Order: sequence, then C-alpha cells, then structure tokens
Amino acid sequence: MSEGRWHRPDGDAPLPGSGRRAVPGLDDLLSAVARGDERAYDAVYDLTSGWVLGVARKVIRDPSLAEEVMQEVLLDVWRLASRFDPSKGSGQSWVMTLAHRRAVDRVRSERSHATRELRAARADIDYDDVTEAVEASLEAERVQRCLSSLTRLQRECVNMAYYGGYTYAEVAELLGVPSGTVKTRMRDGLIRLRDCLGVP
Amino acid sequence: MTTADDHDLHTLAGAYVLDAVTEEERRRFAAHLTDCAGCRDEVAELREAAARLGTAHAVRPRPGLKERIIRSAHNTSQLGPVIAEHDLQQDASRRARRRPVILTAAAAAVAAVAIGIGTHYADMQGQHAQVGTPRVDAVLNAPDAVMRTAPVSSGGMAIVVTSRREHMAVFIAHGLRALPQAMRYEIWLMGPRGERPAGMLSVHRKDMAGPAVITGMTSHDMVGLTVEPASGSLHPTSAPLVMIGPGQQ
Repeated sequence: MSEGRWHRPDGDAPLPGSGRRAVPGLDDLLSAVARGDERAYDAVYDLTSGWVLGVARKVIRDPSLAEEVMQEVLLDVWRLASRFDPSKGSGQSWVMTLAHRRAVDRVRSERSHATRELRAARADIDYDDVTEAVEASLEAERVQRCLSSLTRLQRECVNMAYYGGYTYAEVAELLGVPSGTVKTRMRDGLIRLRDCLGVP
Repeated sequence: MTTADDHDLHTLAGAYVLDAVTEEERRRFAAHLTDCAGCRDEVAELREAAARLGTAHAVRPRPGLKERIIRSAHNTSQLGPVIAEHDLQQDASRRARRRPVILTAAAAAVAAVAIGIGTHYADMQGQHAQVGTPRVDAVLNAPDAVMRTAPVSSGGMAIVVTSRREHMAVFIAHGLRALPQAMRYEIWLMGPRGERPAGMLSVHRKDMAGPAVITGMTSHDMVGLTVEPASGSLHPTSAPLVMIGPGQQ
C-alpha cells in the first residue's frame, strides 16, 4: 500500500486551504481510523495536528498546556473515530469540534483554579524547539476578511467566545450588553461567516 | 415544551456551536437537538464555519510529538462502532454521549489490568486474584464517571476515571517505565491548596499498573504521578510525569 493512497501532503504538516476541498480524503481516513487502520491515523495526524494545536494555542495561550490538549484531542480522534458520521458534517468540523471543546474546557478550569504552581512544576519539559510557523496564510486572510464583514458587535461576540473561551453570559458582562443580544449576535455572526466562507 | 422555552433554546445555536454555554445549557440544548431536525442542520452548518475560525490559525507541531502521540494511540483501545448509538455530531447530551465511552473503555482498561493482576497472582500464588473491587466498581459505574487519558512523559499511558459524586477516582496505567528497586510511582492529588499523597501505584507487570483507588478528591483536584523513594513521600520530590483532571466535566 502506498502512502499516496492517503493523500499525505509530502510528509509535512498540512496547508489548510478552503474548507473541505482542502482536505480530500479526511472523511475516508477517519472511517479507516475507526476500523483501527494505523496508517490512516498517521495521515490524519498530518492533516489535523496543525489545526488542533493552532486552536489550542489561540484559546489556551500557554504553549505547554496547548500541546497537552492537542495530545488529548488527537487521542480522542483515535478513540472516538467510530463516532464520526460523514453524513452529518465534514471530518474537519468533527475534529475541530472536539478540539475547541477540549481547549475551552481547559481554559475555563485554568481560570477557575489557581494552578500556577502546577504549571511551574512542569516547566522543565522541553519546549525550545516549538516551531511557531503559522501555516495557511491564505486561509487566515480569507477568514479574517469574512470576520471583518460582520458587524462590530457580532465580531466581538464571536471572537470572545471562540478564541477567548467565554460563555455568552460572560461576554455580555464584559461588553455590558444584554445576554439575549449576545446570543443572537453569536448566531447571526456565524450565519454571516458561513455565507461569506461559502461553507458547503 | 413551552414555546417560550423553545424560542429561547433556538437562539442558543450560535453560542452552542461556539462552546459559549455552560455545561447545563449544553446538555439542555443537546437534548433539544434530538427533537429539532432544523436545529441539527443549522448547528452542522454553523460548525463548518466555526471550524474555519480554528483552522485559520494552524501551527506546525514540534517534530517529536507525532511519534509519541501515535505510540500512545496504538496503546489506547478504540471505541467500537457497535456502541456508537449516540453520535457525536447528533449531540445527545454530552454526559449521555460520554457515558458509554467511559464504561466500555474504562471497563476494558480495568479488565486488562485486572487480567494482568490475576495472571500475576496466579503465577505467584497459584490462585486467582479478585478481579475488580467494590470501590473500583463504584467509580466506574457512577453516573457522573468521567474518563481521562494522558501520556506519561517517561513512557506509557495513564487513565483516570473520576466520579465527583463519589469523591473518588480510579487510576490505572500501562506501559510505564520500569523503576529501580528503591523507587516507586506515587499518586498525588494536586489542587489549589497544594499536593496531597494519594497512594502508591503498584506495578503488577511491566505493562500494567493499578487500579489504585483515590479517595477524598475534590472537584478542583488534578491527579498527578511522580517517581518517589519506595517508602513514599509526603510531598513530591520530582516533577509530575503526568497530570490529569480536574474531573468536573
């Protein structure tokens, strides 16, 4: 079996492009992973680890915690692959849902508990070879452009929720806006984003 | 049920997709989704858009990670498709969705360890050891049981099943590095008020350790593992090899 069968991007991390088109085969790969196919998992790692680490970094900020969350998510992908159903959404959305939820759970527990000393205890883990390279500048530009088409309040609500890990009630408090307004702006903002990105 | 309630839930779709809800709201909205096909479609579409907020910030992981994660995955049992009655994307309540995962995966892991112990004792003493204790079963069968796995930095995987209700957790591990005779693995509860020793971890075979029952756990505690002198320590004398928790999901 050649590795090309799994659309491996030259053994390198992925260059996510425009949504589903950019990740041909991810859905099939996940189905293969569900059957315990280790080679497929290898390819899924190449395709998704950059996204997962990226979102974990954006939400959690602390690089070592983000890396931990990335490992948990990638293990979830292995363990839970049988839960993925391509008829209900793309593999990209499935993986990112797992990733974002874990990242948000982590940042909330970090916020609510004083765990600084524990983090200090882990400081001896070696992170000096972290590569900061942001991949997909085209995709980042496209998303940024679409975000700027939102109203300011929609954008603030979406950003604070997705990247900040805040609940809509917390966003309402921070912005001094009624929580009902925040809820509808989050929904309207995502709808506009969806239309702008041309999500399938 | 009431239309006001439905309307209220309806507008939650955006916040739900952005994970900007509390655990309770997440559960209620997920339950609502099972009755509302339109909402499921909307959530699926909005999720595709939200995913792009994340993928736009892709970062290349450092090279060493891949091998480690793939090794961990190969040592982790997968959820079989047969049990997948609640689909992730269908979003039956998170707890309802996680339960079968916990029960099957944790039970499988504990069974694997128990078999190891059983074989070990059978080897040593020519008799069968008790497989599973009441306290281990109490945690695994608790309705709020949450399973977390994490790689141990010196090698192997740790699995912690936590029940907040029972204030207990079960710790098991496999593939741990063998220690010199004078050293042992010690488990810790690590919370805002410092670390408390939570017992020594017995390694029965090279490959399997535990189950160790951890009691007196609070929702703020994480479970840690360190290497200590064989007699045990009152405070960790080395950096944690793994930290798991808190079990409040």
